[in-house]
Amino acid sequence: MSASVQALEYLESLPGMVFTRLYQQPSTALAVFRRMLPHSAKTIVMAMLYMTSPIRDADLLCWIRPEAKPEKEQAISILERLHILKVSDLQGARAYRLATNFGQSLQQALTGGGTKASFGVPCGTPGSRTVDVQFLDTFARGRWEAILYYMVGSAGAGLGGDTPIANGTKQLLEEGNFVAMKGGYPVISQEGFTFLLQDVNSQVWRLMIVYLEGTDERHMDHVDVLSFLFTLGSLELGQDYRTQNLTATQRTFLDDLADLGIVYMSEPNRFYPTRLATTLTSDAGALLSSSSFGSNMPSHSPASKGYIIVETNYRLYAYTASVLQIAILNLFSNLSRRFPNLVSGKLTKQSIQRAISYGITAEQIISYLTAHAHPQMQKSKQILPPTVVDQIRLWQIEGDRMSSTNGFIMKDFRDFAEYEDAMKYADALGVLVWKSAAKRCFFVSKLEQMQTYFSNKKQEQRPG
Amino acid sequence: MNAIDGTTSSFHVRSTDAPPPSLLVIVLDTNPYAWSLLADTLPLQNVVANLLVFINAHLAINHANQVAVLASHTHCVQWLYPPPPPPLPTDSTGDVLMTEPDQPDPTPHPPTDDANKYRPFRLVEQQILSNLRSLLTSSPPSSHTTALIAGALTTAMTYISKATLLASPVAAPTHTHTTSSVLPTADAINAPADASTAHDPLSSRILIVSVSGDLAAQYIPVMNTIFAAQRNRVPIDVLKLAGDTVFLQQASDATGGVYIAPGLEVGAGKKEGEDAAVVRAQGILQYLMMGFLPDAAARKWLVLPGAEEVDFRAACFCHRKVVDIGWVCSVCLSIFCEPLPDATCLTCGTYLALPANHNVAPAVVPRKKKKKKRLPDGGTPRPGGSTPAGSTPGGGTPMR
Repeated sequence: MSASVQALEYLESLPGMVFTRLYQQPSTALAVFRRMLPHSAKTIVMAMLYMTSPIRDADLLCWIRPEAKPEKEQAISILERLHILKVSDLQGARAYRLATNFGQSLQQALTGGGTKASFGVPCGTPGSRTVDVQFLDTFARGRWEAILYYMVGSAGAGLGGDTPIANGTKQLLEEGNFVAMKGGYPVISQEGFTFLLQDVNSQVWRLMIVYLEGTDERHMDHVDVLSFLFTLGSLELGQDYRTQNLTATQRTFLDDLADLGIVYMSEPNRFYPTRLATTLTSDAGALLSSSSFGSNMPSHSPASKGYIIVETNYRLYAYTASVLQIAILNLFSNLSRRFPNLVSGKLTKQSIQRAISYGITAEQIISYLTAHAHPQMQKSKQILPPTVVDQIRLWQIEGDRMSSTNGFIMKDFRDFAEYEDAMKYADALGVLVWKSAAKRCFFVSKLEQMQTYFSNKKQEQRPG
Repeated sequence: MNAIDGTTSSFHVRSTDAPPPSLLVIVLDTNPYAWSLLADTLPLQNVVANLLVFINAHLAINHANQVAVLASHTHCVQWLYPPPPPPLPTDSTGDVLMTEPDQPDPTPHPPTDDANKYRPFRLVEQQILSNLRSLLTSSPPSSHTTALIAGALTTAMTYISKATLLASPVAAPTHTHTTSSVLPTADAINAPADASTAHDPLSSRILIVSVSGDLAAQYIPVMNTIFAAQRNRVPIDVLKLAGDTVFLQQASDATGGVYIAPGLEVGAGKKEGEDAAVVRAQGILQYLMMGFLPDAAARKWLVLPGAEEVDFRAACFCHRKVVDIGWVCSVCLSIFCEPLPDATCLTCGTYLALPANHNVAPAVVPRKKKKKKRLPDGGTPRPGGSTPAGSTPGGGTPMR
């Protein structure tokens, strides 16, 4: 599951009141816009940003090609779920407008001005010691790898599991069910394996969401924490910022972030965001250079973009000397040889199914291999050989013939046309999971949009 | 599950389904003569302010989005953002020294930091404004009254190809792979050719904000850059605020860009049309946000405005006049507005035999029949795109 999907699902679960407060900060509006929305939704928001009146649904449809209607429906649905778009009534027609506070904040983010100071207040004076980007990278990498080592080490991969990490972090990992304490020793769980294989950005988000879910027990205001998280994403790497204008909650949060390596605090009143923080709200494309964070190479050199080569004969070569990366590869492949800068091995049915029994999915393995593919492999259109990708999937399906989805079943339609209409709408929304034309029922994963659809239908039918 | 079989789902899923980052190169026409005409209705400050919001919106869409701004002035083309590199040190004879200059200070930190503005936005704005100010204060009075669009487009195209090279996964000729470093440019040029399926590292486009008229003097270089852009699949968008140029319409048409002329829409009445045009031009921000902001990925599913009727006229090679009907050299296809004095082509020097009745208007009667023969599939030729069927014997062919 990618980082933005996780964060999106968390945001959607929040009550509407939270959004009203959240969108008051320009930095939050900008971060949500940039990170959470699909491309189509961004285009729609930008087109509507400086419109003075609501736009009719029909007018919007004129602007969008008929074959792209599903994209439009999905974009509108996400925008509504994030309380960015409000449906209003314009002379009896369905119309949309941007939520006032979101629109204002985004405008303010684009034009500047206001007194919210939401993009961080830099320190004017030089600190007691100089902190450069390289130092921050080393610091963040050290902290983050320590966490991953702590988890991998617990898997018994022969790594030292005694790297010092803060107690708060250990507690956080337990809260997220990534590790379980058994007899005083941490033991990695299924979710822990999933966590390990994600890219760094997703990992950070995952931990942050666990943190946000636990804010009530820590007696913290989670809107405060969340909006500070979004602010962090808009800060500049290598720049120092003041803590004076932060709330007490945010300062506590800052201390915990320093333990994770997300910020660095040189003095009590001064903090530097690290690359982990500044890439929080950027897209995956921008993150490629930092996704190989664990490698020993400097993260900005092009060579560190990827290090894995997979051949069509399932052989795997990884140009790495990092113990952590080797341990991760070892989770799903049979490594046979190790050289100073290279390990080689093979993907086998046995190794993949072992990984699957740990709770790692085929998708995760594939996405890990894709994300860390060597630049030479990234040149081709299909980064991984399709035979290998298919085979990994098939190996998974062999043992795993069922998957469950929570959702709602729609049945008892009056006639076939009504069924088909509703089913097509659900398909366009992207919530359709299963359908059966013979039984005239289908299954959706989300209900809210369908409810509005049915109530609209009812209204249409009543006068006619 | 309808799709439980893993093989039926698309098996080459990219880890990132996000569209590639896009590079937007803006060519701002800073011709002072044209702007002074617009001073009452649409001053330069307003347009620049709107453009800055537009640039910020472009940068906000994707973290990796890039922007570059060029000023096409009357006597020179100047980078507004990113700032031009300092001139290379030269030796006494004026040759460029082949040693690396000392790195001066890559990022001079501006002292005033404002927490109310996203820092990348502020940096871009400061650069553009200060560079534009220095350009406008330092430019000498010039006798040219038109903007150097051709130069600006060429500079933009070189910048784009450089950025595309830098963004491609196998980076830079300095890479250790000797085999790939031999032909880095060939890779980069071939990459856009199959762009429909391959993952582009960077999708680029050019936006020209134009106020000057008459570009006929630069006809040949402009057309050449248009073809270069067409080849590299770089759409050229045109926002025409004033003036009327034939070739910019052709540019956006040939490269699949957007052409919007808010102030010059046809069909409006003469008198009240003028007021409406002013209002329309002042709503430039909305035009920018809706018409020009969508990048290549978004344009696939949008209905975009285009010039409904494109003026395909060409300029003659002898006097740089835009011509409806002219004379075309049958050897090198150069266009002339009048029969050549000594019947020798000015470009290739071929002697062209002109028929005796060459100054009589060409006969267009037999056109109908021949056209049917030529296009059996019923397709209509693009207006003016091909030479008309009625050709006169001899070297000079009338052309529309």
